Amino acid sequence: MSVDLDQTPLRYGATYDELSADGVNPREHWTHLMESLRAIGPEELSRRWNRAERRIRENGITYNIYSDPLGANRPWRIDLVPLLISPDEWRFIEQGIIQRAQLLNVILEDLYGLQELVTNGHFPAALLYANPAFLRPLVGVKVPPQSYLHMLAIDLARSPDGQWWVLADRTQAPAGSGYALENRTIVSDVLPDLFRTSNVLRLAPFFRAQREALIQLAGGGNPRIVLLTPGPHNETYFEHSYIARYLGFTLVEGADLTVRDRAVFLKTVDGLEKVDVILRRVDDSFCDPLELRSESLLGVPGLVDAVAAGNVKVANALGSGLIETAALMPFLPGLSRHLLDEELKLPSVATWWCGQTPALDWVLNHLDSVVVKPAFPTRGMEPVFGAEIPQAEKSKFAEQMRTRPYEYVAQEQIALSTAPVWENGHLIPRSVVLRTYVLNTGNGWIALPGGLTRVAESEGPIVSMQRGGHSKDAWVLWDGPVDTFSMLRPRSEPVELHRVAPAVPSSVADNVFWLGRYVERAENIARIVRSLIPRVRRADEAELGCLIRMHNCLESRHSKLPKVKKRQPTLRELEQELVSVVSNVKRPDSLAATLAEVSRVGGNVRERLSADMNYLISQLRDSIQVEHGNQFLEYPATLTRCLELLSAFSGMERENINRGSGWLFMSIGRRLERAIYLTRQLREVTTPLCEQDWSFLECLLEVADSSVSYRTRYFTTLQPLAVLDLLMADEMNPRSLDFQLRHLADLYRKLPRHMDDDLRAMQDAVARLGSFDLRTIEYPMPGSAAGEAHGFDGLSRLEKFLRELEYLLPSWSNNLSSRYFSHARTLPITVGQ
Amino acid sequence: MIYKIVHRSTYKYKYPVSVGNHVTCLKPRSSMHQKLVQMELDIQPPPAMSTERVDFFGNRLNFFTVQELHKELVVEARSEVVLREQHATLWPKPGPAWEEVARALPWDHSHAGLDAYQFAFESPRIRIRQEFAAYALESFTPLRPLPEALLDLTKRINRDFHFDSKVTNVRTPPEEVFRKRRGVCQDFAHVQIACLRSINLAARYVSGYLRTFQRPGQPRLIGADASHAWVSVYCPESGWLDVDPTNDVVPSDGHVTLAWGRDYGDVSPLHGLALGGGAHTLKVAVDMEPIGVG
Repeated sequence: MSVDLDQTPLRYGATYDELSADGVNPREHWTHLMESLRAIGPEELSRRWNRAERRIRENGITYNIYSDPLGANRPWRIDLVPLLISPDEWRFIEQGIIQRAQLLNVILEDLYGLQELVTNGHFPAALLYANPAFLRPLVGVKVPPQSYLHMLAIDLARSPDGQWWVLADRTQAPAGSGYALENRTIVSDVLPDLFRTSNVLRLAPFFRAQREALIQLAGGGNPRIVLLTPGPHNETYFEHSYIARYLGFTLVEGADLTVRDRAVFLKTVDGLEKVDVILRRVDDSFCDPLELRSESLLGVPGLVDAVAAGNVKVANALGSGLIETAALMPFLPGLSRHLLDEELKLPSVATWWCGQTPALDWVLNHLDSVVVKPAFPTRGMEPVFGAEIPQAEKSKFAEQMRTRPYEYVAQEQIALSTAPVWENGHLIPRSVVLRTYVLNTGNGWIALPGGLTRVAESEGPIVSMQRGGHSKDAWVLWDGPVDTFSMLRPRSEPVELHRVAPAVPSSVADNVFWLGRYVERAENIARIVRSLIPRVRRADEAELGCLIRMHNCLESRHSKLPKVKKRQPTLRELEQELVSVVSNVKRPDSLAATLAEVSRVGGNVRERLSADMNYLISQLRDSIQVEHGNQFLEYPATLTRCLELLSAFSGMERENINRGSGWLFMSIGRRLERAIYLTRQLREVTTPLCEQDWSFLECLLEVADSSVSYRTRYFTTLQPLAVLDLLMADEMNPRSLDFQLRHLADLYRKLPRHMDDDLRAMQDAVARLGSFDLRTIEYPMPGSAAGEAHGFDGLSRLEKFLRELEYLLPSWSNNLSSRYFSHARTLPITVGQ
Repeated sequence: MIYKIVHRSTYKYKYPVSVGNHVTCLKPRSSMHQKLVQMELDIQPPPAMSTERVDFFGNRLNFFTVQELHKELVVEARSEVVLREQHATLWPKPGPAWEEVARALPWDHSHAGLDAYQFAFESPRIRIRQEFAAYALESFTPLRPLPEALLDLTKRINRDFHFDSKVTNVRTPPEEVFRKRRGVCQDFAHVQIACLRSINLAARYVSGYLRTFQRPGQPRLIGADASHAWVSVYCPESGWLDVDPTNDVVPSDGHVTLAWGRDYGDVSPLHGLALGGGAHTLKVAVDMEPIGVG
């Protein structure tokens, strides 16, 4: 690929080109970047960019697209060239967006308070009453002064004459600041020298201020702050978990919270814990099914009442969505003069709210030059480009608008400015919109320097994340000193030391418990199949029985094999069955499905896991895909790779996770799962093996990774009792049943709010297990054909014990669930509406 | 008239409920025609928290949380109310032409005017539609005085729609009721409000009760023994005019007003969310008994 950056076509025409004024030479503040890109060269840039894209995939940075037929979790798409903003330009933008934030905040305060703007005619009453986002239960509810908006996003675009315009305000739960942060991390990694030498204003101070602002909103101290997310299916879920982790907040869904005595509590494994501040990513009307939208399953019943009682703060305040409507825009200049005694610094894109007759008439007379949109987006109407309405339908459309004119706004379309995008070794101009963020520190407003630059998917003016566009970093090039604060490297403030982590939410405990179980389950399946595959190809009919026994240990309900009672399956059938056990995602008991579960429950707690663990989980998900050739022959190597990753995971689990409640539940999950399948495997030995099945023992040792231990003790003689001793009774073997039970009992002693009955049952099981003296047990030997008749009492007692245990172990798991997790994420039912 | 009203709602759940958050809108309002003497709310099992708040429309809501495990929830509201007669004879005669009222509404920035104007828009359960406007315009002929047109519309709805408790439920949209021409008092009220708002008049939903015992010589009214609903329309100077499309009457001293809002959703007598529960049934019994002449 030969690329010449000098010859990249720089278009100059009907749009503003961020890069170049004349289409030939870069603007002054772009020269350093262009020189730097040229110095790096296209090949090196491509290499670096490939690395970055791999990292995006590995870090699991995603944006779920509702309409994506390929399903959710599309990798986040970003561009390597940042949008550059010069110091003076930034000063202008910053002043403009801060003023706008102040103004919007005051407007909200009035509309949810005295409504003087309505009575004195500065704000049209119809615009208030017709707006479904006006939440009447919140009127008159006291919030701390100046605190309606904690943070808002303002979308800016630049018209051909170089003027910045506001396209939209996002005032209830603005998305994207986390993606902006992630973009910065990636781009500054790809272009480290350029970033270092460009004196770029940093983003971290903004997020530090956000954390401090929320602590202040709580009234100081060491408040419990939660980030309320609609859940993993939301398009920006990645960002929710990213921000929660970055700011140190607890990520919760509505069902994790409950209202008691007019206050909000988090359900944790230690019981209920009071919540002081909710940073929400759930839309206004979905936040409380009791007083707002009753069909919402995302909210917390009673939240509005808790807010009204002053027992919890919500950011942004409930009801803030009221001023997201574009219909407000034409009134802002007047409101600014009236409320702030200032001229509006940043104009909004020309907007007509049709609720006023002159505006409606103007719009109907100029339909060709505007785009008509719903004034209240919840009505779900798509924007209509006036020029595209066939002449014959224009009067019908006008009639529709006249019926409820206040439901419509019309806006002028702005020809968006373009910025260079790196594509296949070229720089190509693409339309951009800059989403900026303003934060209310409680003590003035600050702007995130730069923001999230959204880029049109192809040539053309439509910029939308929902439609699958991508994004860019935005660098504010500064002419003064730059604060290089990092969130993880605090400055000189004294720190209060905490040893005790806040209690773990029940839903998190639930997910990590199942993460432990699924990871262990995956390992068991992988080990069993890996030991079977080479044997299946070698086996004769006689050995087949032993392989079937091993397969039976999977307890696979979805097995395709014929029932043994009817006829012995063939080797061919077993081979197909094993392929299906590994790769058929539709089978809940397959390795692929189990790893998908690992990925799902891991994803639910991604903010609680280290970056390395998240990385491992994403690797695991893809680890068993065999693309070419004979799957069956590829499998041993593939499964070995999968087992390596699983070992890495369990290593991290042991060595890298703090021994808090989270780890406790993960370990319990793992021990329980291992005890469950081990018991099943051991029972295969205590149901006496016939002679030709003794090679089953070899398989079993391999699956338990205990072949070497066995050989060093017994050399090569395979003896069922010796195998039982090693895998059942040997308390030093981390894969023995005894080891699992003792550890489970240890872990149960550490549980908050003990589970005494089950702990006693566990200790009892350990004692009973120890009471079997394998030396006194007789095992039917090959040749002693009449074995069963003899009454091998010890062996059948052991068999009975294992059967009991097979029943007990899942009951412990169920009891644990109902004790610690059952109220987690249970959704309430609506009665009476 | 003095009335004693007992309104008892019983929820029976299939499975135990561990936490129930509920709101009641069961406290009669006080107004020129209506005085609340006393009201008590009896909830079983007793709630861990119970608190009263006045909503945006001035109704008194009670929020309560039951935190003990229960399979049955009983909410009984007992109130005593004094009602004064308010007849259509007190209505303005002939009153302003309806178009004038509709035209003036957006420009009336008085407290009463703004308060009324909000009821001229769509609300969560009521849409503005051409079909509703067309139906309303048969009564609201050009320059007809608002009160007269309103009574005519009330009469037509009463005549054209059949009372039928089998075809609709609390969530049936007015469009469907309008198509089927069947429903209960809530549906008739919704349809009439939709008609009035579709021609730019302000109309609100009134929830209340109807006296149980018929007066001698008068037919027993529909909607007794249950909560009732009717419609109120804003007419400047005289205020709000109540009409009951279910019975084609102007509420007088037999209609007790509980609450008003934009539609049923704002004033449902009892709703909530229960953790657990599963399938459930609701039984409502209302008794409104005159106990004296006030």
